[in-house]
Amino acid sequence: MDNTNHLKAPKPNPLSASASSDPILSCQHVGFRVDAPGGELVILDDISFDLGSGETLAIVGASGSGKTTLLGLLAGLDRPTEGDVVLAGQGLSGMSENERADLRQSHVGFVFQSFHLLPTLTALDNVMLALEIAQHPQPRQRAKEALEQVGLSQRLAHYPRQLSGGEQQRVAIARAFANGPKILFADEPTGNLDRTTGTAVADLLFDLNTQSGTALVLVTHDPALAERCQITYTMDGGRLTR
Amino acid sequence: MSTVRLAWRLLIRQGRSGALLLLVAGLTIATAALTAVGLFTDRIARQLDRQAAETLAADMVIASRQEIDARFVDKARTDGLTVAQMVVISSAVFINDQSQLIDIKGVSPAYPLRGQVGLKASLDGAEVRVRHGPPRGQAWLAPRGFRQLALDVGQTIDLGRASVRLSHALSYEPDGGGSQFMVAPGLTMHIDDLKASGLLGPGARTRHRLLVAGPSSAVTGFANWASEQLSDDQRLITPDEGQAQTAEALTQAKRFLGVAALTSVILAAVAILLSALRFAGAQRDLVALLKTFGARSATILGALSWMVVGLIAGAVVVGGLMGFAIQNVIGDILASAGTGTLPAPRWTPWGVAAGLTTLLAMGFALPPLWGLGRVTPIRILNRSLDTQGPLGLGLWLVLVGAGLAIPALQLGDVLLSFIVLGGAAVLALTLAAAAWAAMHLTHALSRRATAEWRFGLAGLHRRRRSGIVQITALGLGLMALLLLMVVRSELITQWQATLPDDAPNHFVVNVQPNQKQAVFDQLQNAGAKNLQMGPMASVRLIEINGQPPPQDRFTGQVNVSWVAEERMDQLPPANALAAGAFFSQGARGEVSLANRWADRVGVGLGDELVFESGAQQFKATVTSLREVAWNSFNINFFILLTPEAGDDLPHQNIASFYWPQDSQDSLKPVNDQYPNVSILNIGGLIERVLMIIERVSQAAEVVFALTLLAGVVVLLAALEATRDERRHESALIRALGANTPLVKRGLMIEYGLMALIAGALATVGAAVTGRVLAAELFGFSYSPSPILFAGGFLAAFTLVIGAGWLGNRSVLITPPVRILRAG
Repeated sequence: MDNTNHLKAPKPNPLSASASSDPILSCQHVGFRVDAPGGELVILDDISFDLGSGETLAIVGASGSGKTTLLGLLAGLDRPTEGDVVLAGQGLSGMSENERADLRQSHVGFVFQSFHLLPTLTALDNVMLALEIAQHPQPRQRAKEALEQVGLSQRLAHYPRQLSGGEQQRVAIARAFANGPKILFADEPTGNLDRTTGTAVADLLFDLNTQSGTALVLVTHDPALAERCQITYTMDGGRLTR
Repeated sequence: MSTVRLAWRLLIRQGRSGALLLLVAGLTIATAALTAVGLFTDRIARQLDRQAAETLAADMVIASRQEIDARFVDKARTDGLTVAQMVVISSAVFINDQSQLIDIKGVSPAYPLRGQVGLKASLDGAEVRVRHGPPRGQAWLAPRGFRQLALDVGQTIDLGRASVRLSHALSYEPDGGGSQFMVAPGLTMHIDDLKASGLLGPGARTRHRLLVAGPSSAVTGFANWASEQLSDDQRLITPDEGQAQTAEALTQAKRFLGVAALTSVILAAVAILLSALRFAGAQRDLVALLKTFGARSATILGALSWMVVGLIAGAVVVGGLMGFAIQNVIGDILASAGTGTLPAPRWTPWGVAAGLTTLLAMGFALPPLWGLGRVTPIRILNRSLDTQGPLGLGLWLVLVGAGLAIPALQLGDVLLSFIVLGGAAVLALTLAAAAWAAMHLTHALSRRATAEWRFGLAGLHRRRRSGIVQITALGLGLMALLLLMVVRSELITQWQATLPDDAPNHFVVNVQPNQKQAVFDQLQNAGAKNLQMGPMASVRLIEINGQPPPQDRFTGQVNVSWVAEERMDQLPPANALAAGAFFSQGARGEVSLANRWADRVGVGLGDELVFESGAQQFKATVTSLREVAWNSFNINFFILLTPEAGDDLPHQNIASFYWPQDSQDSLKPVNDQYPNVSILNIGGLIERVLMIIERVSQAAEVVFALTLLAGVVVLLAALEATRDERRHESALIRALGANTPLVKRGLMIEYGLMALIAGALATVGAAVTGRVLAAELFGFSYSPSPILFAGGFLAAFTLVIGAGWLGNRSVLITPPVRILRAG
């Protein structure tokens, strides 16, 4: 049977991963098109699924299939041109950029393939900055704890260029989990790391996910990493299949 | 998190970022250079003003044939100004059975308000300088007076009913050079003694002067008030019109200082532009990341704006202090070199530098920063989905235009500001257009080139947006430095050349017609150089085209001269024809006027003037206007007549010539043989003009050095902008197997092309601007020196390539993998 997401609302979502009636993330007929020199380009086409609290979801697919774009839309970094994403019970399409920023501040964590640590800040400052933006009452204390949790208590004052790739990603993971997000988005979190380091970083990511009960949406090329998630979707030509 | 708090966090935590350091360096050095140049040129200009004021012995004078009302004195004192009174009268005195005409100057004790009086206790004694007038009962007589009246220092003489003791020889009067044709020796005494002498009785031709000095704002305020109160026979004299030669030199000096100050403004503006653009560009990823964390646009932009404003404020203070310290050190060095202490620095130039830096920095930095509000957070995942917003050109223009208007307004010279800033703007547009064309041409060429050329040319094309900015900035910076070099080494030299070593430094007056040839021959045989002699008569201008002339100090009694029959079609030396045609052979009833006199009196070509001398009147039609180089120190006249005028006018002859200052005694035989003839030494006046040129030359040196500092920042900022990208690309192609020499040559080709375009256009821009400045403002016909410009171009070219090479050295010694891994 064709298991694609071509079903229209208000039918029940065929890709619903969540048994819960109140998913943390709900993707409803999402489409994304951009203007390109050769005409309109369809990046994502009619994607729908639900994800419950604490669940883990991997999105796999070939390069250019639209995985990362979908991740950005799910996290509210941009708005879909069609459909809606409901994150923590709030529809993103009708929200302004500031409202989406507020939502990310309180509910969302990120881990990126290229770490995106600020090169001029120490490991501690990098984690603290995100906490300060989220108006955490004790950002320094919490940042230290988060870095201890990822095993970097000895590297607080180090700058990114003084850390290995694996260490940089651990700082990024500490930053993502520090504010206790309800959902974490990870874009190829092991993509820039060798296999051993990648495995260690993935272990850390899933351990923290389990400990904190955070939902996880993971975009990856790595089948081994995808297998560790409860659900795996495949992205192909802008469409999602299970 | 509040915007201020975030701003503080970002500032502290970005402390190590290259873009931030460059912005701080750019702003600080720009402010330091602007403050130092502004303060220093202001101090030099004020010192020149003060020295010019010495020619009046005051900052301002009210002159009148009648006694000056007490209300002027009261008002000046109320305004916090110091005043001195002076009465001058020419009177014949009889001493030792000899009669001698003496210019007697009665002064109040506060005289001179500016400058010092030179006194000698004996005729051969050493000079001492004092800042007061003679006490009651004493008088100071010029050495010529002692000689002509066979007097000794210490003797007492009777002047009318007063007796005064000649306590000193008067060797220098600050306001003594005002009249080159002053025939009589001068005597200075207490004003009350002169009043008591009875010489100022009815019918005496007395000249009254009220001398005023004080802070410039108070003087200006008083001058404005006084000009409303003046009666017809009273006039106001400022240092600018005190003396033609010094005034002209002073105007030139201020223009030179203005050009120097504006070039530093151009460089500072470019330094700020580049560092601000680099800073704004470097914030895109940060903005996207902060948005991803949930920071609102307004919070981020507010924080970045606060941060920039804080940096600007810090740079203005620190740069201002640095600039203050730098110019103070330079001032001290000059003072210790014996060129006199400069006036204390004022706040105004600091305020101008601070205002300019603030507006330029805000104009260049804030619009692109505010444009970052449109950065989409998804950029963090996919840069291709980010869009570059408009640059906020309108806001740029308003703030930058307002910024540049500040120094232009302060300078108060619209034409000069227009030439320098307009020249820079035209060059900026030309550079941008040339860079754009070059980018497209190199793209086409790169397809057919060898590997290193392809790498270099393609690099330029890939970075065409930043490349255009880099070439424009480099070109503008180089143009400012080259222009300053032109001013420093060529225009000032040319100015100095207008006053050669053998410029006439002596005048001879009162040579009677029957003595003319004998005096001329005697001076020439004695070795006088550049000797010129001509007739002079005093006449009254009574009509212009049948109407009485306007009341002005330029009308009424005027000195005229006429040309010799055999040379009547030749313009006198240091004169150039401005309009009409100079006398033709055999012309009669014509007059040639100096432009300055014609403008002031309101006369033009074809006007008919009627003059009166004694009982006779004569008419002359204006047939030519002349531009006279008053600073040449030749004998020059506002009014030149055709030769027939000399047949009927009672006249004397005057001469000018050069004579070495250290052999004055050799002129004594001329004086002894022709006692009625007066020889005046104006060496002091020439020295004053030379000193002004020297000061400007020193100022240009200082400005050049300071501007060079700002130039280095421009260079670094321009090249730094794309360094990361170049590093990454170079690492990539090295990783792909390119060897170091290929990468090196590719980089040199890229920098070389930028240097070529920027250097060539900057050289042309500086030459054209220099030429326009020389012609329009300084009155020179300046031809750019090929050697200077070839040298300038070569230096610019080497500097850009050298800086590019140094900046990218690390690219070639760092293993490519490290650069690539660092992203």
